[in-house]
Amino acid sequence: MPVAFAFPRLASPLLALALAVPVAALSPGPVSAEEPEFYDVPYAPGQWNFGRRLDESQLRYCVDRRDPDWEVAAAIADAIAQGLLLEPQRYVVERKFVIEDITKVYAIMLEHCDIHMGFKLIPGGYSNWATLTRSYYEAQYVFVTADPDIHALADVAPARPIGATMGTSAHIRLVSYLTALPAEDRWPTYPMGTNDRALEALLNGTVDVALVWAPNLWAKQRQDPAYAGLHVIDPSPLPPTTLGVGALLLANETFLRTAVDQAIAALSEDGTIAGILEKSGFPAAVKP
Amino acid sequence: MSVRDKFLRLLTVAASSAAIAAVASSAVIAQDSPINQLTPVTDEMLLNPPDGDWLMWRRTYNGWGYSPLDQINKDNVGDLRLAWAWSMTPGRTQETPLVHDGIIFIQNADHVIQALNAATGDLIWEYEYDLPDDAPVRGVRNKAIYGDTLIIATRDAHLLAIDTKTGKLVWDKQVANYEHGFGFSSGPIVANGVIVQGATGCSKAQPGGCFFTGHDPNTGAELWRVNTIARGDTPEGNSWNGVPLASRHGASAWIAGSYDPEQNLIFAGVGQPYPWNMEIAGLRPASSDPNVTNDALYTNSTLAIDATSGELKWYWQYLPTDGLDLDYAYERLLIDLPVNGEMRQQVVTTGKIGIIESLDRTTGEWLWAVETAPQNIVLSWDPKTGKKEINPETIPIAGETTFNCPADPGAKAWQATAYSPRTEALYLPTVEFCSNTTVNPLDPGEIYTGGGRQTYSRVPMPDGDGNIGQVRAINLNDLSEMWQYRQRAPVTSSTLPTGGGLVFVGTLDRKFMAFDDETGEVLWTSGKLSNSLESFPITYEAGGKQYVAITANFASGLGRLASLTPEVKLPSNNPITLYVFALPD
Repeated sequence: MPVAFAFPRLASPLLALALAVPVAALSPGPVSAEEPEFYDVPYAPGQWNFGRRLDESQLRYCVDRRDPDWEVAAAIADAIAQGLLLEPQRYVVERKFVIEDITKVYAIMLEHCDIHMGFKLIPGGYSNWATLTRSYYEAQYVFVTADPDIHALADVAPARPIGATMGTSAHIRLVSYLTALPAEDRWPTYPMGTNDRALEALLNGTVDVALVWAPNLWAKQRQDPAYAGLHVIDPSPLPPTTLGVGALLLANETFLRTAVDQAIAALSEDGTIAGILEKSGFPAAVKP
Repeated sequence: MSVRDKFLRLLTVAASSAAIAAVASSAVIAQDSPINQLTPVTDEMLLNPPDGDWLMWRRTYNGWGYSPLDQINKDNVGDLRLAWAWSMTPGRTQETPLVHDGIIFIQNADHVIQALNAATGDLIWEYEYDLPDDAPVRGVRNKAIYGDTLIIATRDAHLLAIDTKTGKLVWDKQVANYEHGFGFSSGPIVANGVIVQGATGCSKAQPGGCFFTGHDPNTGAELWRVNTIARGDTPEGNSWNGVPLASRHGASAWIAGSYDPEQNLIFAGVGQPYPWNMEIAGLRPASSDPNVTNDALYTNSTLAIDATSGELKWYWQYLPTDGLDLDYAYERLLIDLPVNGEMRQQVVTTGKIGIIESLDRTTGEWLWAVETAPQNIVLSWDPKTGKKEINPETIPIAGETTFNCPADPGAKAWQATAYSPRTEALYLPTVEFCSNTTVNPLDPGEIYTGGGRQTYSRVPMPDGDGNIGQVRAINLNDLSEMWQYRQRAPVTSSTLPTGGGLVFVGTLDRKFMAFDDETGEVLWTSGKLSNSLESFPITYEAGGKQYVAITANFASGLGRLASLTPEVKLPSNNPITLYVFALPD
């Protein structure tokens, strides 16, 4: 697809050149060596060996096969690269760990990518070494059940347990709400280590309702017919918990971040990202 | 391991191989290489280690971390000089070398195991464990030696036995799946012919908690397993606020234990529940079920485990329902001293809050506690039961910022205390600081869920004197403070008391120091070393001469407090070096 059609706002050769050249020149910058590693400042083996790369015509992006949206995110990243007149260079993270500390992304990014897709925008949620782009879509945490008689959280009897993916913004909101209720009106809430575990707990009857990230439910229902009977219920009396999802960059990539932000804005406005989401039936929306 | 790393590793191995070849060839001629005189480590040796050896993590089963060597003493320590140094491979580590018959054994962060001549620092052999590419490149605090083998724990949850004379692998036993978060950050002890190992990393990826395991030293076969999270319909199993086992996380066993041969009991600590915040962990709001508590057993407890059978004989929990990451997981010291005029066999430990506590190790009865560094978390404790009253204002709550002293990583961190029978005193490395604490969501990325369950914005102690680091000497007879040393930068190594009347300790600002064990007078300070000193110093004898060794490294523990001392500059590439000091010939 011609770049001019993929990203009309950058169709002007002068503007594209003005963005593309500095993006290439500044990406990726050398790792800051001004301070020692702290607990929240990551360490990567041989980190001081990574310098400025020479293949400056590419936008190197990472997607992680463990993310439910990795193929959707890859399509969005391809569109961003094309909009920036850069060749998209995809790196698919193939690690098997169930859960990892976010600092592991540091090593992956040093070696493989300029931006890593798939991070939720949470104020104060990231250490100083990382920064995020604007969101390319917004998605929700959803309450899910297999019980056809339950249509809203308000329908769930107090004794019936909820399995919540542990520590998410939606889980914290739920717990804060429950704390304000009299003890006899609370749902027992079981923290589950992952979205998958919360959904498994729903299937095996450990819980009656699961609180999960909507893209995880979407992926599960595409992969396994056992999850087909689950349905999303109205979160009331709680408001929906919606989070934007963007790409993570190393904090010193300020110019690249600005360029990617502009690309996302343009791709949101011209319907490119919405088209990608719609093609997959992905449960997310684009924020204009 | 990346292609780049493998290439660099090949270069290193090639260089090392050449060195080994050179050493080996000369060894054929030089029959006096100490490796030829290496003897098997027997059960009797572990019970009564030779004075010149350092055969286990804290040198002796009682966990004292004390050496009777006195060649280096108060009169001559001022003459201490660097004898030799050895550069270790990069990566965080908190190394405790072992020494036997003049050979020093070390484990590098990338899991290269090396044997060096303890007198000269010359490499004798090395073994490279093939750590998976995606496993953390970090050291492991300690190792064990038994018979003709070195017992090594790995970051990907394996146990290895390596021939001490040749460096060849004898057996390799996978204990748990590292892709589910399990790993070993500390190594084993060998007690009554059983390798005892604790697992860590029991977080969101794997409910049900961690475990201690016992292993056959000849094969690595697992003999028993003790789960660190209580389960079943028992008072202990019902202490998790009614959440099912699938929702119980944490209770890492990340520090090696001590051993009482008379009772054949291992005494080891268990860490806190995960995530740290009690609301997120499902421990609050408290269940209204009268048969259920939210103590979260066996977190923050001492477990007394039969070394042969793995039977849990008793436990004692120091801090129930911990929402501040204030582990009681650290070293257990077995000390026999009178309490109220009656001789008691005690097990003594210090949690992150900095409160030293003692139990009767034959019964688990709580005996006494003494506060060290200033703290605002425990308001009081019952002098008979030890039950604590927790300051409710310090308990983190979603949507609020709380103020607590200390915070993670603790007034007393993993850096071990040590006990000297000369002075009957416990020597503690402590730090004084506070934190503004807020609860973080865990959902930044699908897989990468953030390291901080709470954000600890560390701040100096209000009305403090600006000195964050201390060494405290507490007389365990009357629980009085014998002396206290204070300095601006955190004290970051374990303490090492010796028969020479000295206490060695290292600091964030790259100093290795020796104190008079009775007065706290600073008798010797090294020149600035290559990095901060976050490790376990040891002392040993080789060729009739006493040496003192410590690894300089930044290991993230108390180094996390470096933000409070921005004037302390450390090298960005985190060099790791084993320094060995001795008196001039």
